[in-house]
Amino acid sequence: MADSPEEIYKSIKKIKVIGLMLAVFTILTVGLSYVELPTHSLNIIVGMILATIKAALVALIFMHLNHEKVLIYKFLAFTITFVLALFILFYASSTDPLVFDGF
Amino acid sequence: MDIPYTVSARPDTGLYNAKVGVWLFLASEVMLFGGLFSAYIFLRVGADYPWPVHELNVTMGFINTLVLIGSSVTVLLAWASIKLRKFTAYKVYMAITIACALTFMVIKSFEYRSKFTHYSVTMTDGTILTGHLPHGFDIEFGEVNELTLTVAGKTASIDANPVSYVLPYIKGTAPSFKTEAGEDIQLDSTSFAKLADEARAKAREKQKAEGLKETPNWSIKLKAASPITFSVPPSKLLAKPALDAKSISFRDGTTVEGKIINDKMTIEVDGVDLRGTPEKEKSLAWNEHYLGSAWKNFFIHQRDEAIAEFSKKYDDGKGGLSRDPNKSATHQKEQFYLHIHSPKPESHEASNAAHGAEVHAPKEGHDAGHASHHPEVQLERKDVQFYSNFTPKLNSYYAIYFTLTGLHGLHVIAGALVLAYFLIFDGRRLRENPEHMANRIEVGGLFWHFVDLVWIFLFPLLYLL
Repeated sequence: MADSPEEIYKSIKKIKVIGLMLAVFTILTVGLSYVELPTHSLNIIVGMILATIKAALVALIFMHLNHEKVLIYKFLAFTITFVLALFILFYASSTDPLVFDGF
Repeated sequence: MDIPYTVSARPDTGLYNAKVGVWLFLASEVMLFGGLFSAYIFLRVGADYPWPVHELNVTMGFINTLVLIGSSVTVLLAWASIKLRKFTAYKVYMAITIACALTFMVIKSFEYRSKFTHYSVTMTDGTILTGHLPHGFDIEFGEVNELTLTVAGKTASIDANPVSYVLPYIKGTAPSFKTEAGEDIQLDSTSFAKLADEARAKAREKQKAEGLKETPNWSIKLKAASPITFSVPPSKLLAKPALDAKSISFRDGTTVEGKIINDKMTIEVDGVDLRGTPEKEKSLAWNEHYLGSAWKNFFIHQRDEAIAEFSKKYDDGKGGLSRDPNKSATHQKEQFYLHIHSPKPESHEASNAAHGAEVHAPKEGHDAGHASHHPEVQLERKDVQFYSNFTPKLNSYYAIYFTLTGLHGLHVIAGALVLAYFLIFDGRRLRENPEHMANRIEVGGLFWHFVDLVWIFLFPLLYLL
């Protein structure tokens, strides 16, 4: 934990820089959504990559997950497993047992 | 009793207790929103209509994103200010954070309001008209001389309550009624309660006399002194009336006989979406008594322009196209989704001339108020398949939009309340135990960043992509 005044001043600077980066990424996301990429799926993928970068900045720096105690990483390991399971549900559903191509 | 480890770290976890608590809470929050994002994917993949892109107000969403990012920064600065023992700065940053939360909610409420008052009408051929209904949508049903009320026996789910369910929809003032006993009454809650009591008494007598298991329903007929006309939204009726309905039933079971006088829907059209219409040029929207051929020609012109532009943009140099026009959602929208901003189609020569040095003549009817900005169309009910304002009822996109942003909005309110509590009611702790206060702000801040993080995904998924 950054506790000495010098470190706090340093982290204030960092916070402001990250805030600015987040704003820039937001502008980029909006701008890119008006550019028609070869397929719309590509637009979605690019948009989600940008959103993930932003989310990572918030989680790692603002929520200081870049240097946190082991216990919290253990909690999050469970969370991530279950959230991934939720999204894998979607892939599992794409093999629809009712659609049968024949022998 | 003092709660342990509010300031210093607990030796075995290395963390103060509140931090362990908030991370456990955030873990469950991730699951909550994870489930809803998963639902979003399912709904989007399964949608049988073009998924709306850029249909919400992007500017407002963009401003709200910046507002939330800004508040995430200020909540951190508030925490840092306590660490540096700059209490005034802490209070200022905290106040800014809460002001940001309020700004976010105010902007969001404007967005919601504009959706609640905007309507989408699907016609029977799949054409969708969007616009405002200046008078709402009421069915006028007239020449009614008699009300038939049904007072329920014990088990029925619908019990007559004409005072709440029928009287409000009478056009003009309610006439007086004559009961079956020949008594003249003004229908109000007292007189109706008396009638209902009498009816129940009669129903019980019949039950006794005939040895019935349950009390039967009892009808009361009320003759109107003068013919009544109702003006009632279809949603206030028990069932959608047939086109030539001779009787309608209100939601309390009251039935009246008469005839439909007017069931046309007046809509100020601001958009014609033909993506779901099989034959775009024969759409019902181009009927002469609706938008007419002038708008149809305007549509054809715009569509051809879009096609020409697309061919130019994706010319592969060999006389073909480098992109399938049927697979470009943007191109489909440019071709088949007509946005209407003027009461009459502007001819293209005229609009070109307007850009030149010509004198700008005021547009026709420009000063006649809001209604004149869009053509007003009277839709016949037989041509309307479905209508709704832009609420969860309209389609699965708006359903998930309101679910996600509604839940997120509640989080913003909750976060703001917690931070406001720290700012307003925790002054003593700030002076006496600033380290504890800093930890509290850190924990509140963690929740606040999480709210920001959810919005970072919501904004592109709902507004942009």
